[in-house]
Amino acid sequence: MTTNKLHSAKPGQLQVLHVEDNQLDAELVARALRQGGFEVSVVVVQDEVEFTQQLRACRPEVILADYNLPHWKGMEALDVLRREDLDIPMILVSGALGDMTAVECIKRGATDYVLKDGLARLPEAIRRALHEKNLRRLRKQVDEDLAKKVDELARSNADLEQFAYVASHDLQEPLRMVANYTQLLAERYRGKLDDQADKYIHYAVDGATRMQTLIQDLLAYSRVGRPEIELKPTECDVIVSSAIKNLYAAVRESGAIVTFSSLPTVMANSSQLQQVFQNLIGNAIKFRGANPPQIQVAAEEKEGAWVFSVADNGIGIAPEHVAAIFTVFKRLHTRQEYPGNGIGLSICKRVVERHGGRISVTSNANGGSTFVFTIPVGTQAQPEGRFISHEHDGRYFVSR
Amino acid sequence: MNTTAGILLVDDNPADLDLIGEVLSRSLCSVDVSSVRDGQQAMDFLHRRGVYASSSRPALVVLDLSMPGKDGRFVLAEVKSHPELRKIPIVVFSTSQAGPDIQGSYNLGANSYVTKPCSLADFVSAVTSIGEFWLSCAILPREENR
Amino acid sequence: MNNEPEILLVEDSQEDVDLTLHTLRREKLANKIFIVRDGEEALDFLFCRGAFADRSFDHYPKLVLLDLKLPKVNGMQVLKQLKNDPRTKSIPVVILTSSKEDRDLVESYNLGANSYIQKPVDFEQFRQTVKQLGLYWLVTNQPPVANNGVRVDSLEKSHDHQ
Repeated sequence: MTTNKLHSAKPGQLQVLHVEDNQLDAELVARALRQGGFEVSVVVVQDEVEFTQQLRACRPEVILADYNLPHWKGMEALDVLRREDLDIPMILVSGALGDMTAVECIKRGATDYVLKDGLARLPEAIRRALHEKNLRRLRKQVDEDLAKKVDELARSNADLEQFAYVASHDLQEPLRMVANYTQLLAERYRGKLDDQADKYIHYAVDGATRMQTLIQDLLAYSRVGRPEIELKPTECDVIVSSAIKNLYAAVRESGAIVTFSSLPTVMANSSQLQQVFQNLIGNAIKFRGANPPQIQVAAEEKEGAWVFSVADNGIGIAPEHVAAIFTVFKRLHTRQEYPGNGIGLSICKRVVERHGGRISVTSNANGGSTFVFTIPVGTQAQPEGRFISHEHDGRYFVSR
Repeated sequence: MNTTAGILLVDDNPADLDLIGEVLSRSLCSVDVSSVRDGQQAMDFLHRRGVYASSSRPALVVLDLSMPGKDGRFVLAEVKSHPELRKIPIVVFSTSQAGPDIQGSYNLGANSYVTKPCSLADFVSAVTSIGEFWLSCAILPREENR
Repeated sequence: MNNEPEILLVEDSQEDVDLTLHTLRREKLANKIFIVRDGEEALDFLFCRGAFADRSFDHYPKLVLLDLKLPKVNGMQVLKQLKNDPRTKSIPVVILTSSKEDRDLVESYNLGANSYIQKPVDFEQFRQTVKQLGLYWLVTNQPPVANNGVRVDSLEKSHDHQ
């Protein structure tokens, strides 16, 4: 005789769905549960159809199943659960099965296995199963919340970067007007107006050109974060050469000698990495001491990363300033002493970190500084087959 | 070919039009610089329509990309697909350094692309370079006035 | 990164080749220049076939200097094929020819030549012309994007090559 009534548990009651064809066994189980302190509402079913029906109707919190039924296999209840996408603990309540089978059942998804002649264990097994289910639910909730937060943060970051980019970009045009035309004013009317006017024009030009550099640097800084970054095999000796050529005027003026030899090919964003070298070498030239700058660029492979260094013989950095030096807009000297708005190093830091590396600075024995940054070794970049033979001993020597 | 070379400047920024025109006139001996402020005016000028009925066809066009209404891309597409007009060299002169803008201009048939520098000195230098190359190094197809 | 030349010089006159190379290198305008002597070789190079089958359409020279009078396939033919193919049409092609024919001038521009320059007869003027065109096309002009990878903003140092 089976109970086919539609049941819903009263609050405080544990709703159980029991797959069992033997009524006596079913009653024994119900009694064991009540003795175990549960107030239960048990619905008993015998086959898949009834099972599926009652699953939806009474929403059990736990499922008990006999292993061997005349019309159905208890374990197949798990398939139904999976199909219905329900996470309900299922405990096998069965005659002796043998350890192997028991383990097999648990591997296939049964939560636990209780012998029919050991029903005293059942309440405990149910408590444990429900507790684990609760933990699972909580963890899932936490994961979902976290994922949502991460998503919001990413979106907010993207918005901010977009804003910074657009702002800097759109500011450039009117700024260009101000800067250029105040300069034209200065050129055309210099000496034709009084001294005061010349001074005013000079201040205006100075302010405008400073704003221009600032906006360009801000743009460069915000561009580092943009998603279009593609890592490509980048020949460092080529980009260092390019960086040096871009600094041609400063190199010539200072009599700087920049040397490097056999730099590797790394997976990187070429133009950003070139910017890093350009900023570091440019700084080394700018913050020079009494002697012409001597700058060495080197690389060595260590522990899965390429370690690049740019060493100079310049004025060095006092230890108390080292921490702040990579902060945006942090300048250590007045504008009269050294020009610039303090964003170059923070761009370097941003680029390097975006490539998964780290940047730092140490002082040299000669008073100068060595900037060191790492780029993790990604896929080993292979230079494409040589098409035109091209003598290159790897040393680049620039002099006065 | 000693006829005065006509250059058409197309830019929505009057300050830039002024400056470009001035630098070109200053650096080249016989140039006749005309300026228009948007793509539609540019096409009217090139087709000698309306107020531009008496204009002469320029030997060179210096073209900004971003203009309200019909922009530089419109002009490029129109000119470079027109059997009579497409031989006129077009130099795109724009602040944009964006890859798609540069490649897009070449795809539409631009002869050259020069980025408008931000600093005054570089700006003047770029315009001078454009003027000197196109008007005293290269040879341009010229048309006699109708 | 690749060994793509910055300039492809399509020229059959040895004298003109020498003078052009010398000027470009002296003025430090370009260090990687590849020379082909006829139109067919030029087409093979730019269309990545024949002896140049290992070249890729992804990288091309910043500039092609193209003479019109060439053996095998003439310059106008080369120009036409280049400018009619989407894979090669944005490569800047500057005609550098001794031809004074108006017809050549107009046809070149109509076919999409980026610029047309007449080779001066005078030695010194030839050098000046090469210098000026080098400055414009390698420094002032922004090349199309699918080209040579990293951009160098300023003049390149000359290396020995070839």
